[in-house]
Amino acid sequence: MGLIPDFKKIATRSPWIYRINAGSCNGCDVEMATTALIPRYDIERLGCQYCGSPKHADIVLISGPLTVRVKDAVLRMYEEIPDPKVTVAVGVCPISGGIFRESYAVLAPIDQYIPIDVNVPGCPPRPQAIIAGVARAIDIWRERL
Amino acid sequence: MSNQIAILLAVLLFPGGVFALAFGLAMKGVDRRVAARLQSRVGPPLLQPFFDIIKLGFKRTMVPAAANETVFLYTPLVGVVSMLIAAALVPITSVYAPDAAIGNLLVLLYLLMIPGIVLMIAGSASGSPYGAIGFSREMALMIAYEGPLVLIAAAVAIRTGVGMGGWATFSLNDIVAYQQAHGSFLFDPVMWPAVAAFCFFYPANLGIVPFDIPEAETEVLEGPLLEYSGPVLALFKIMSALKKVVVLGLGIALFFPAAPANIAAGFLVWLVKMAVLMLVGITAVRLSMGRMRIDQAFVFFLKWPLLLAVASLAVVVVV
Repeated sequence: MGLIPDFKKIATRSPWIYRINAGSCNGCDVEMATTALIPRYDIERLGCQYCGSPKHADIVLISGPLTVRVKDAVLRMYEEIPDPKVTVAVGVCPISGGIFRESYAVLAPIDQYIPIDVNVPGCPPRPQAIIAGVARAIDIWRERL
Repeated sequence: MSNQIAILLAVLLFPGGVFALAFGLAMKGVDRRVAARLQSRVGPPLLQPFFDIIKLGFKRTMVPAAANETVFLYTPLVGVVSMLIAAALVPITSVYAPDAAIGNLLVLLYLLMIPGIVLMIAGSASGSPYGAIGFSREMALMIAYEGPLVLIAAAVAIRTGVGMGGWATFSLNDIVAYQQAHGSFLFDPVMWPAVAAFCFFYPANLGIVPFDIPEAETEVLEGPLLEYSGPVLALFKIMSALKKVVVLGLGIALFFPAAPANIAAGFLVWLVKMAVLMLVGITAVRLSMGRMRIDQAFVFFLKWPLLLAVASLAVVVVV
């Protein structure tokens, strides 16, 4: 089909990742940071790059149960990420609220507010699981381009 | 007429345009790969910067409500065009000599300021407070490093001009030809302060880690680039890739243009010099240092590179 499908395939080799902390306890965030930073789990070999600005991102990693106070900020930040984007929920909190599930301050599950494409359960999930989740997100992203 | 076509080809094809872009992106890829290996990681594929540019082409461009849309979208074009012209101004020994009609070292100095100004204007046009912080930091850094650069250029120009029996020459072709005949300035003790000052200057001009203060992603979220997305962000990436080729090429032309007269051999020698300048001056430096604060960088530049540049100018004038 000529050049355009090839370019799309090439484009998915450059997923830029942005992290949103939706009220997480930081456990998952530490796992996400090590996934990127320590040599053993080098995520840059997939072409990934953590970016400081939501406007540069392709794949969003959300951690935390979405607390009431942080909800508006998270939704606004999510709007700032240009399409096509893929969302990965990291940890058990976005799925069910995890250990915070009965709290009055928590709005989990997060997919009531934001469309989630990939769930990576765990408290916190292993780095390998996060990388697998990102790889799955790249496949979904390719279909959306 | 053939003159104009030659200039156009130089700007669009070689050594500007297509070649400079491909080479700049390839250097970025090698830089990231080598950096990863030095940290005992696997690292991205060598063509990663090309993938990034293609990817950005598929993204949506968002213009913030607070931004001035025209300025926001079109300033990066100015930066890219200025760098294309600048790339056509830098000679490659025994491969390419710029036409005197495009300009000389002075024009190149002005063109080299444009990417910094583009970042400043883009940052302030985006309407983001982080962009404004990036603006003020970029401005302070430019004030700090432009002075030494001008003095370095003046020292080289006077050294060449006096050597050729005049006062000062700003023609890069003459500078290269003089060094080809009389030995490179890199091996001339009189020019060593200028060489040292240039080594401090180029990481700052290229925004490499100890001096990437305006775009510090951990503090000001990439500053001026914060609000950019999609193809317009790709233009900024293209601009910085071109700028890398221009600045490193300028360093080679000013201080170490020695190369064999054969075209292929001359080009190969140029590539090797570029690679060494990049690996030593960019990759190694950015991996081994942390980011300075803007006040530290400002004082540092006024202390050392400016002192060295003034010293080199004084020595050149006296000797």
